[in-house]
Amino acid sequence: MTRSEPADGAQGNSDVWLVVPVFNETRVIRSVLATVLPTFPNIVCVDDGSTDGSADQIRGTGARLVRHPINLGQGAAIQTGVEYARKQRGARYFVTFDADGQHQVDDVRRMVTRLRTEPLDIVIGTRFRGNADDVPLVKRLVLRTAVALSPRIRRLGLTDSHNGLRAFNRTVADGMDITSNGMVHSPEIVAMIDVNRWRVAEEPVSILYTDYSKAKGQSLLNGVNIVFDSAVRRRH
Amino acid sequence: MTIIKILLILAVIGLAIFLLRSHGTSRGGAYLKIGMAVFLAFAAYAVIRPDDLTWVAMQLGVGRGADLLLYALVVGFGFFAISTYLRFKELELKYARLARAVAINEAEQVDLRAAAATRPHDPQSRS
Repeated sequence: MTRSEPADGAQGNSDVWLVVPVFNETRVIRSVLATVLPTFPNIVCVDDGSTDGSADQIRGTGARLVRHPINLGQGAAIQTGVEYARKQRGARYFVTFDADGQHQVDDVRRMVTRLRTEPLDIVIGTRFRGNADDVPLVKRLVLRTAVALSPRIRRLGLTDSHNGLRAFNRTVADGMDITSNGMVHSPEIVAMIDVNRWRVAEEPVSILYTDYSKAKGQSLLNGVNIVFDSAVRRRH
Repeated sequence: MTIIKILLILAVIGLAIFLLRSHGTSRGGAYLKIGMAVFLAFAAYAVIRPDDLTWVAMQLGVGRGADLLLYALVVGFGFFAISTYLRFKELELKYARLARAVAINEAEQVDLRAAAATRPHDPQSRS
């Protein structure tokens, strides 16, 4: 299989590129990639300065590897991945996908199908349509509050503004310009959707909260940083 | 409301707008340096002739000259803090873009080498 051409994937997904930001996921990244690659053969993992050898786990799996020389943050990793993917020949759809096994391949498949068939630019996963019971209670409250506090989010009709599973087309990818490095990229993406008038829809998805992912989940205290950064972020 | 309160509120709003619009530019930087110099001169004057300062303070509705100096210091510090934070964010963005360029370039080198290694015989080399 030559690496210079997009591989022919199962079900014609060779025009889809997954962007997987990776930070210290050496224990699970290999198995996560193994579950996804059969369906989506074009994956770019952005190793954001991992210190546990995650990069070695990624090499040889068939996924592409882009390594940040220093740790920058998840937002920066996503931006790097999107910039890399949109230069690849034949890339038409892009999906941000978590490295820790929280996201489901079937959800991605459905979201990409919607992009192909419906007049949409970006589809965001949501934990709050359908069954939200497996979301830890405190997290659920915080996320609901984040949505309630933002008139823009309500105007766009979003119920889960901090969902990491997003599928989008070239229009969005070409316009993607995340300038915040850390976790503030979610509100930034929502703002971009609003400003650029991208056509957005939500798709119910299931997030698998394993002990592993719960242990490293975004701490609520970091929410303080997110709110502050959102408030002072410059509007160009 | 006493004059000092009105003045302080106006100063806060005015400086906030000014800072957000011209921070990071050389013009903004020059204004800030001038502001610092004025403030230092003002502080030195307050040490040399504190009674003058007290007179000014009383005109504005503040009890003592030292209190006036304190208000000015608090406002000045507030803007310095915000300005510094914004400049740091800008620096962060610059080095993020730099790191990204390095990372993508490196990855593309790897891709090229991998493509070259698996490419079949160059058709142009056949006669």
